[in-house]
Amino acid sequence: MEKDKTKTTFSRRSFLKATGATSAVLGLGGLGFFGYQAGQDPSSYTGWKTFEGGDQNFPRHRFVVDKPPHEKVGPTRRVDPRSEIVFSRLPTLLLHWQKNPTPESLPQYLQDYYREHPEDLELDLYNVRELRPKLMADQQKYGRAFILAEAWSEAMGAVTPPQITEPPETADFPPRRSYFREEVPRPYKLKSPEKTSRLIKKITHELGATLVGIARLNPDWVFQYPIPGRGLDPSRPLEIPSHWEYAIVVGTPMSWDPMYANPNYGTSEDAYSISRIIAYRLAAFIKKLGYAARPHTPGYSYDLMVPPIMIDAGLGEQARSSIVITPELGPNFRAAVVTTNIPLKPDKPIKFGVESFCKTCKICAEQCPSGAITKGDKVVVRGYRKWQLHAAKCYNFWNSNLGNMGCRICISVCPYTRKANWLHRAALHLSSNDPTGLTHGALTKLQKIFYPGPNPQDYYIPSLGGKNASYRRPPWWLRTEDFIEFE
Amino acid sequence: MGFFNSGLFWFIEGILACLAVRGIKIWAEDRGLILRWWKWLYVFAWFTLAGFTLAFIGTSLGENEPIAALRGGILFGIITIILGVGGWRWLTLSKRKD
Repeated sequence: MEKDKTKTTFSRRSFLKATGATSAVLGLGGLGFFGYQAGQDPSSYTGWKTFEGGDQNFPRHRFVVDKPPHEKVGPTRRVDPRSEIVFSRLPTLLLHWQKNPTPESLPQYLQDYYREHPEDLELDLYNVRELRPKLMADQQKYGRAFILAEAWSEAMGAVTPPQITEPPETADFPPRRSYFREEVPRPYKLKSPEKTSRLIKKITHELGATLVGIARLNPDWVFQYPIPGRGLDPSRPLEIPSHWEYAIVVGTPMSWDPMYANPNYGTSEDAYSISRIIAYRLAAFIKKLGYAARPHTPGYSYDLMVPPIMIDAGLGEQARSSIVITPELGPNFRAAVVTTNIPLKPDKPIKFGVESFCKTCKICAEQCPSGAITKGDKVVVRGYRKWQLHAAKCYNFWNSNLGNMGCRICISVCPYTRKANWLHRAALHLSSNDPTGLTHGALTKLQKIFYPGPNPQDYYIPSLGGKNASYRRPPWWLRTEDFIEFE
Repeated sequence: MGFFNSGLFWFIEGILACLAVRGIKIWAEDRGLILRWWKWLYVFAWFTLAGFTLAFIGTSLGENEPIAALRGGILFGIITIILGVGGWRWLTLSKRKD
């Protein structure tokens, strides 16, 4: 009997040891499967799962600063879009150069600009004379690989609100009469700016915004001259209307899988369109309460610069690539602004380590095929010290790659452009909470080891020595060759 | 949201962890090993590292980043193995003298 008892006890202990070993193996294996599912999970693509504000979940209150982190170093000047923004400058150049190919044929403001920036005249002329013909030839030869990507972009950009045809004094205010009421609607008396801000943010999230922030509008961010299609005379300086007191910024992400396949397969049109529609709906909501509201929307229908307003509104920080990096979406978003006079409580700006990270990282500058992103220090632009993108170089690459318009490689390769799963959230919180900046170098090294990109030259079209490369393979639903039969 | 991202999965992970701890304790007793709290801490740290390595590989594969899975697997895997072998030697040094 004694012998049997001993044998039973021994077996029980052996069983527990075997169970423990099996549990350890199963538990560790389970973590591997957990990781796989976390990596695949489309709900970790921030901004594509909730319309209720759940994705704006970074603990901003821990990173607020009293003043926006703009480094003002001298007298400031508002941006002149006619010459300083390439989307306005290039059409004017084309128009005049075709008639008379001399700098003297250009409007005075453009002559002045090119005198100050002679490199940009060369780059702009290279664009219209050489790049576009090359692109046309390559488009015929290689362009069909991007048919589905272009169709996707076309579909996302298909819904566009009408252009604004009246000046702010009329266009921004509620209509003077409606079908039901003859009287001029008066602004409703609101209980407090805090409550109104909370309401506006809730409404904006309900409209589909992933990010929303509020800032008091700094006049330095408003254009010197209006652009066409905004109800203002583009030849006369823009006087800032007194009812542009606050700026509400909304942001939505570009679809993540195509975005990783930039420059050819991604598109801005998806986020452009969603942000645009949200801004117009938000403006309608505010006007219905009797206040003024004016949407400033992408692609290029603004009276102001959006990135510094996003910084003022506490949504993010300026990055080396000159784009704003937000904690939730990184730089993968497109934003719109609504200027308004509805009384609001502005948000505080934040500093969560982007500046320090960008100083050591430089991945965007190394991967940028056009060299538009500086590897050097900040420079003074219009009275502010900042990282400045060389827009003419950037735009020339836009016009020398197939597929969808634009590039966005700097967004794809940015370490902050990652899914909201355990791994990348941990890295985000590690870098945000490190005041010494020591982890920034280590995380940059790991980023380069784990997520390498192609040789930057390979992003170019074949006639410019490239391979039409993209940062990552396109998602299955954008691979034209799998769906369309070519003879 | 699948099983491995669910609350049930973490509940089961918790049970498995308890069973593993119980198994290690009995195994140590049977071998006459004294596991002080710092050795338990080491054991937990090693299992966390091993779990991180596997989760990193899985996440990278799920994200369609095979290079990250391979390089991360090698880098973290080697660290895990070295610390595992070293830890094993260290844990099994202090046998009870009875």
